[in-house]
Amino acid sequence: MIRIYVAIIFAFLYIPIAFVIVSSFTDETGLTVKWFERLIKDSKVVSAFYNSLTLALLSTVFSVILGTSAAYAFLRTKMRFESFFYTPIVIPEITEALSLLLFYKLFSFPLGFTSVLLGHIAFNIAFVFVIVKARLSGYEKSIEEASLTLGANEIQTFLKITVPLAMPGIVAASLIAFTLSWDNFIKTVFTTGPGFQTLPLLIWSQAARGVVSPTLSALTTMMLAVSMILAYLYVKVSTQRG
Amino acid sequence: MKRALAVPGLLYLFVLFYLPFLIVVLYSFGFPKFTLDFYAEVFKPVFFKFFLNSLLLATTTTILCFFLAYPLAYYIAIRAQKWKNLLLVLVILPFWISLLLRTYAIMAILTPIGLMFTFTAVVIGMVYDYFPFMVLPLYASLEKLKRSQLEASYILGASPTKTFLKVTLPHSKPGIIAGVMLVFIPSLGEFVVPSMLGGDYVTLGTLTWDLFLRYHDWWRGSAISVIYMAIVLIAIAIYLKKAGRIEL
Repeated sequence: MIRIYVAIIFAFLYIPIAFVIVSSFTDETGLTVKWFERLIKDSKVVSAFYNSLTLALLSTVFSVILGTSAAYAFLRTKMRFESFFYTPIVIPEITEALSLLLFYKLFSFPLGFTSVLLGHIAFNIAFVFVIVKARLSGYEKSIEEASLTLGANEIQTFLKITVPLAMPGIVAASLIAFTLSWDNFIKTVFTTGPGFQTLPLLIWSQAARGVVSPTLSALTTMMLAVSMILAYLYVKVSTQRG
Repeated sequence: MKRALAVPGLLYLFVLFYLPFLIVVLYSFGFPKFTLDFYAEVFKPVFFKFFLNSLLLATTTTILCFFLAYPLAYYIAIRAQKWKNLLLVLVILPFWISLLLRTYAIMAILTPIGLMFTFTAVVIGMVYDYFPFMVLPLYASLEKLKRSQLEASYILGASPTKTFLKVTLPHSKPGIIAGVMLVFIPSLGEFVVPSMLGGDYVTLGTLTWDLFLRYHDWWRGSAISVIYMAIVLIAIAIYLKKAGRIEL
């Protein structure tokens, strides 16, 4: 009995996704890749793709640097305000998105690539902080102390001991940060300006009007593929023992 | 020296996360003036519809997610055995797919069967999107339940129903609270799902979207957001008091 139930639930979870993937590879006559060819030829899609990629890469780099150093500082010294870094994770995204918009409006900050990027970094710092700190807390402080005793200075110790030890955590955090940024819709739509489109914004601009089309499904399939690759890498990294 | 490493991150979050919140609060009080009019206004009957719709949607979603997820979480945690890891992966995988894409997938299914733009469509979409958030905490709490605890209950003569009510259910309470929170809070402010699947089904989320992005009405928009934030913070505070910490 319960097995049938479990099967039905998973069918409910995966049939819609399977349907999108299948419809992006078929037309009336059978299998085809023409919907994907159309995507590649569409200059709007191509520029949105590059925008999404740049955004995700840059926000990952900045948030990993800021989040990792903060995680290290909080782990090795007794400091208050650690919950400062948890709030962005618990707060509903829409609230964060609209407050960023108001912030930009109040200071007449131009909306576009930079405003979106700054918002993405803020959100990602929190995730990087949590992941890296969890990873680093598994190591003994004595390894660093040994390095200091043996004559390395604090900066050398940080770069040669702490960073390599934290590396699996940093890589895992980068993958999460990249995914969050690559997929992000709500914060992007609130803080973007005319002329700056990302892939999720492109999907939204059609789907919000009720459009379901093979090209849109192909775009969704493409984004799904990227997400799955990132998920796979994440699992590989986080199950590895350093 | 080490403390200094935390400064850039803290400063960044202060300027681009906390300061914007303060600005929202400021606007909700009528910035650059000071007035309570906007709060008084959002409590007028015109806005009731939005609050009630959101409450109805979030409650329906949470209840459905709970009843659908509990048997699944129970099965994975206690009965699945060799399938356990595979099933867990299948539950976690949707977390890596953005909500927008998942909602599009539901739309692609609902369009040919003619179910779009109804309350049912919105509920199906919401349950589809938030279901994993309910399964995982339930699974985490049920997983800690030892098989021997259940066996002890049976040996001592309790029926399966009684065992469920007296052993399993109380044991999974932290998971239930966490799951309900993780589904209810974001559902209350959700706007992607209702606006894609619901046609003219308006919620707090769609109202916020319209006030900010269509009418540029920062003041009423801010008042509503502050109220929503207050609800969220109260819920989190209650949760922290009950459970001690947040388990993700």
